[in-house]
Amino acid sequence: MPRRNSRFFNLQDSVFKYLLIGVSAFVVLLFITLFYMLIDRSFPSISINGLSTLTGTVWNSAAGIFGAVPAIAGTLFSAVIATLFAIPISLGVAIYFTEYAPSRIKSVLSLFIDLLAAIPSVIYGIWGLWVISPLIKIYVQQPIVGAIGFIPIFAGPAYGLSIFLASMILTIMVIPIISSLSIELLGGTPPSLREGLISLGATKWETVRHVGIPFARLGIFSAIILGLGRALGETMAVTMVIGNSYLWPFETSSLFAPATTITSKIASELYEATSTLHIASLIELALILLVITLLINTVARLIINRTIKRGYY
Amino acid sequence: MTLSNSTKLDIQNLNAWFCEKHALKNVNVKIPDKEVVAVIGPSGCGKSTFVRCINRMHELIPGAKASGKALLDGVDVYGGMDVMDVRRKIGMVFQKPNPFPNMSVADNVVAGLKLVGTHSKKELAEIAEERLKSVGLWEEIKDELKKSGASLSGGQQQRLCIARALAMNPEVILMDEPTSALDPASTAKLEELVKKLKNEISVVIITHNVSQAARISDMTAFFYLGELVEFDETRNIFEHPKNPLTERYITGRFG
Amino acid sequence: MDILSRRGRERLIKYICLLLTVLAVVPLLWIIGEVVYNGVSAINLEFLTALPAPFGESGGGIGNAILGTLIINAMASLFGIPVGILTGMYLSEYDRTSRLGSAVRTVIESLSGVPSIIFGIFAYSLIVLTVRHYTAIAAAFALGLMMIPLIAKATEESMKIVSNDIREAAIALGVPKWVRTTKIVFSIAKGGILTGCLLAFARISGETAPLLFTSLFSFYWPIGIDQPMASLQVLIYNYAMSGFQNWVIKAWGASLLLVIIVVSINVIVRRFAKPKYKAGV
Repeated sequence: MPRRNSRFFNLQDSVFKYLLIGVSAFVVLLFITLFYMLIDRSFPSISINGLSTLTGTVWNSAAGIFGAVPAIAGTLFSAVIATLFAIPISLGVAIYFTEYAPSRIKSVLSLFIDLLAAIPSVIYGIWGLWVISPLIKIYVQQPIVGAIGFIPIFAGPAYGLSIFLASMILTIMVIPIISSLSIELLGGTPPSLREGLISLGATKWETVRHVGIPFARLGIFSAIILGLGRALGETMAVTMVIGNSYLWPFETSSLFAPATTITSKIASELYEATSTLHIASLIELALILLVITLLINTVARLIINRTIKRGYY
Repeated sequence: MTLSNSTKLDIQNLNAWFCEKHALKNVNVKIPDKEVVAVIGPSGCGKSTFVRCINRMHELIPGAKASGKALLDGVDVYGGMDVMDVRRKIGMVFQKPNPFPNMSVADNVVAGLKLVGTHSKKELAEIAEERLKSVGLWEEIKDELKKSGASLSGGQQQRLCIARALAMNPEVILMDEPTSALDPASTAKLEELVKKLKNEISVVIITHNVSQAARISDMTAFFYLGELVEFDETRNIFEHPKNPLTERYITGRFG
Repeated sequence: MDILSRRGRERLIKYICLLLTVLAVVPLLWIIGEVVYNGVSAINLEFLTALPAPFGESGGGIGNAILGTLIINAMASLFGIPVGILTGMYLSEYDRTSRLGSAVRTVIESLSGVPSIIFGIFAYSLIVLTVRHYTAIAAAFALGLMMIPLIAKATEESMKIVSNDIREAAIALGVPKWVRTTKIVFSIAKGGILTGCLLAFARISGETAPLLFTSLFSFYWPIGIDQPMASLQVLIYNYAMSGFQNWVIKAWGASLLLVIIVVSINVIVRRFAKPKYKAGV
């Protein structure tokens, strides 16, 4: 029987094993390199500017001043607002899906949620820029400015492209993340717990409220954190609708004013940046963003993994 | 204690552990060639561990250890040959039939050869046909050779697995309760097959069904709490067992 | 109907949830509707095959961007798919909760949460700044890197699901481990792995930020992978922001193409596989 001997197979096995180990180690190495490169390339900025990137409010590349506070403020504000608004909507979707939706609707709804997440952000951007922005300006912002424009955060002029619009678009983008995870979590409620309550005559809402949500509460919390992480890192949609300006929040605190975020600042300036310090400052911003999002995502995923695997909150 | 056949597998001082638990204690037994040896005993007595030590599947379990010797035709399975060769010479069939679902019936039979060897397509087809015939499957599925291995019935799947093991031309075939997941008709077919097999190779078959052991085996080994209590011709075990434990188990008073 | 009664509350909640669901779904339908409505008029043969016309002139096409996206995606897949699969194989079949295994898992989880622009900056720092010019290879590197965690996870999960009985059968036949891993376990898992690859491909087709400072853009046919290259995503960004109507219409057309790709892949994957691997999560 033509067969190679076992020593040959053992050799093949070793080669394959080391190939797999090598590739896996390579992936880890890539990650480390990512950090290293970001730190290395931003170092000129860290050493020269020091903390002023994080505290300064003026960004003037010609003069070599790189204060990023308005960008950081834009990132934090838009992401937090978007996530806050997304929470009730996502929970509503999740509850509707798990408790009320007939099964034909479930598969369509599930597809829609996936598609919401799958639509490229640049398409959210073009839609936000050319469809929503003019509508928002005329039908939402201008009336509000007219009515309560004396309140600083609603002051005119009503720019369509604004922190307000960016937050809105971000809300839509965050919804699929929170809802899909919440659906999975609510669906994982042990049937025995649910049935116990239902057999006592509880309505679906009461069941969700007293069993489903408490059971899934930690997981839903981390889903929210994950959504926040996504919003913090979103680039294209935000860049295309936020107006890219340092007006907000210090020269005007109006929500209808154009603003900027870390990501949109980098996206719009890196190509034209020529001085090493300018490039380094932008990369320093990227590093800050990376650290924030990594922290947030790690915490969230730790909680989620433990929740889903152990099956209790 | 053997019939006239020579010894195929000489097991000496076999001990096995699961971490700290001593699962097999000093087992010494000579498995004869071309006979059917039944391994019986109550749950947890070590019969599965014993059999899996023979083809070195026991060591795959994390924390598992074994010591002692198992001489296959004089060569120690532990140390005298490469573990892959051990498994080619000592085939195994499992309690739950496990054909490869991603392969056709024909490919399943010759999987052990096709995946590692250099046989031609023609040779493989011939071997597949021959083996399917020897397990009595050929007539039943010769027109469905391209169907997935998992699409057969339980009894057919198990016979397919036996054919797959036999295609490697092993010296010994181990069977771990091969009929416990099958219906009575398939069980009967399989028992017939086992009785036929002993003309070619040694069979070691674990069974929790003592009447099955009585029906098909030439020798029977009775295990209890990790020890080999008695090993004798089946006739002797069932008609006049020497050890009271054996007698109590056979007559159904425990286990 | 008494709103305060339990029955009443139940109905109220149900309708609120339904309303919120509609609120969530409307933007999706609106976006797709707008993309189709605005983009359909742009699509014709010239659009699909010609180069862009000089700025200010009418006509022209996005042929170079279509080709560029295909090339960049192909290169990214060439990098991301094998690395992802081999890593997933390692985690599923070879890792014995060793230090490397947990490090890899941590890295993969972390990489999934990294904003896409960071990958662009990584590629920019590593490649573009080093060779001192913009290059499509850097873009492929960034996108490939983004594919790795998605594919590794899909691979690991698909392979882990394969019943251990099958592995035992292969071991008992004396099959070498690498054969068992590739020709048996991997082969059984390939459906799930393919799903993961398709979804990863859909994902990178839409990613724009990593391309902004790597492959940049170009108004000509791709001349070499070490040069800037046009892509659908960057085209949409540039053209939509330009304000020039001819270009904005083309941006919508390009958006339509992208949406078709992404939606088709998601729908196909749903039809043929259990959708365990969702694009956005």
